[in-house]
Amino acid sequence: MTPPGPARQALELARKDLLLEGRAGETLLVTAPFGGVALLLFPLAIGTDVPLLRSVGYGIYWVVVLLFGVLVSLRQSAADTPAQVALLRLTGVHPVVRLTGRAAANALLLLAFELTLLPVAVMIYDPPLDSWPWLLAVLPLVAAGLAVLGTLAGALAQGLAGRTTLGPLLVVPLALPLLLSATQVAEAVRYGREPWSWVALLLLVDVVAALAVALFARSLEEFS
Amino acid sequence: MSPASRLPYDACPAGRQAQPDAVIQLHGIAVAVERTPVLRDLTLTVGAGEAVGVIGANGSGKSTLLRLLATLLSPAAGTGRVLGSALGSRECEKIRPQIALIGHSPALYSRLTLAENLRFFCRLTGVDVSAVSSALDAVGLGRAADRPADRCSQGMQRRAELARVILSAPALLLLDEPHAGLDSGSAGLVDVIIDEVREREGAAVVVSHDRARLDAAVDRVLDLREGSLREVLPAATMVPGQGFR
Amino acid sequence: MTSVSRRLTAVTVVVMAGALAAALTAPPDRLQGNLQRLMYVHVPAAWLAYLSFAITLGASAGWLWKRRASLDRLASASAEVGVFFTGLTIALGSIWGKPVWGVWWTWDPRLVTTAMMFFVYLGYLALRRATLDATVRARRSAVFGVLAFAQIPVVHMSVVWWRAVHQPPTVLKPAAPTIDEWMLAALLLNVLAFTLVYVLLLRTRVRLAVAEETYDAAHDRAAGELAGQAITTPDYRKEFPNHV
Repeated sequence: MTPPGPARQALELARKDLLLEGRAGETLLVTAPFGGVALLLFPLAIGTDVPLLRSVGYGIYWVVVLLFGVLVSLRQSAADTPAQVALLRLTGVHPVVRLTGRAAANALLLLAFELTLLPVAVMIYDPPLDSWPWLLAVLPLVAAGLAVLGTLAGALAQGLAGRTTLGPLLVVPLALPLLLSATQVAEAVRYGREPWSWVALLLLVDVVAALAVALFARSLEEFS
Repeated sequence: MSPASRLPYDACPAGRQAQPDAVIQLHGIAVAVERTPVLRDLTLTVGAGEAVGVIGANGSGKSTLLRLLATLLSPAAGTGRVLGSALGSRECEKIRPQIALIGHSPALYSRLTLAENLRFFCRLTGVDVSAVSSALDAVGLGRAADRPADRCSQGMQRRAELARVILSAPALLLLDEPHAGLDSGSAGLVDVIIDEVREREGAAVVVSHDRARLDAAVDRVLDLREGSLREVLPAATMVPGQGFR
Repeated sequence: MTSVSRRLTAVTVVVMAGALAAALTAPPDRLQGNLQRLMYVHVPAAWLAYLSFAITLGASAGWLWKRRASLDRLASASAEVGVFFTGLTIALGSIWGKPVWGVWWTWDPRLVTTAMMFFVYLGYLALRRATLDATVRARRSAVFGVLAFAQIPVVHMSVVWWRAVHQPPTVLKPAAPTIDEWMLAALLLNVLAFTLVYVLLLRTRVRLAVAEETYDAAHDRAAGELAGQAITTPDYRKEFPNHV
């Protein structure tokens, strides 16, 4: 019996996470509607001035993606029981591979989450859509960055009672560059500038987070 | 190995002299969980082809001992080797796939079916996926293969975990209360799986409160008391009402 | 109290008294008057915030390298002191900003990064509190201690870029004034005094952590030697005589 390569193992782990989440439906049936409610609440609180909502809509969309997206990474179906953790450790799959599999599943779910909320935000706020081609790069890059940071937070808070409250506190401040980049891309396009530097910053955050996984996965997976 | 040759309790003390080919060699081991000492000065040697039973009161550290043997815990003191790798070292990562552990609570994903759970395990470890259905048949779950784990009884989940052991063919088998939840017809399955491991020159450590079943399944029984292991007499020589000693 | 502690405390008290006197006697700012004296606490507090978290970073990386309990205590103590000084920096900046700039808060990149650090290290302390096992706690907080500090330059850079594309604050923002020599001397003396206070607090917190661990270890030894010894066979014959 030869174990498969790390990429194959990571894919298998991601597939399992997606299958579990597909059956639990927490991301698209619970967290996404909750995010939709948040999008609906902002205008009720700040007023229904149409030009104002048009100008803030894009930013509010990304704030909601950031805050609720963390909950997608920390969803219940991604909380391994101690017995499952023990089994995974005994399979001999490297800790980096295990976190990579989790991050890949998180990224796909977050992308689906972003794509679900986007039409809701467009409908409620009617923001200018002139920057839409850039979204093709921004949506996956934010999903990837948030997924990797969320995976790290999930590993840091593994098995702790306050996992779902502690995790967001650990991730959200560090994800600030993701929010700024995502919103400033649209801003730059509006003022006729090239937003490449913001896309590069998104990439940088993704790379730093991925490096952190590679460096710390083993330390995080050790048990006393 | 015939059952007769491994019974009864062939006068192997808990810590025999070092055997070069021993699957488990622990010497003077101490383990603490969240600062509370659980095991102390524990010595154990289990040779190839041997199955050892462990009994002990609630909370005496039996499950901790199994986690230590599975290389999932590091000793605070003492030295130990499992399948040739030093406990607490990175060498352990290499031998982990040769260890199977069935703990108290099942390691099944509740929303996956029994077959999906096993196929996931096979794909991760490189075991042929086509063996899943025959493994489920072997534990009598062939027709329940497509049932989600959360709709299975405790005994069914335990059987599915035994099917996983059949698939992984481990060199070291660690069982925590393997008979719990199993009906009388399937309890013998545990003995067969232990025998298989022995025949492959592997080793098994079985924790159980069911002394009669344990006696039938293993070569010798040890009592985990005050953090370390002691040899116990065969159940037949026990004085009723006075325990094992 | 050891002789080192006594001497350190004495030196800190003397330097602090000198720094306080210097802060009170330095000439008042021409525009801001006495309000500017808040700077003598605000600037040292901000310096200590960064110093503390840098030490948490160093000690965390050191723990991952050497696995020494003393490095975990140092990382944790420095983060606690750092969170206090970060909070103080933000509060004093806000109190000073309202009369001078007319607002409690301004979107200055340094301010945003400092506030972000405050929340990140509150998260660090929350992670420590939530993790019961000492080794797991040390390991996870060491990883987060390194990750958090590594992200600070990226966060700061993003905020600086973000400010660059927006209008500068429309509130009255004084141009960088040339600082009076007396004021500079008083400021430097205060930086030194507050650094000494930091060292004293850090040392005390680390010693407190050692004392807590010693107490816990003694308590564990006294409480019963092994986990299993706390469990006895139930004496049901005595408890339920009518049922046996």
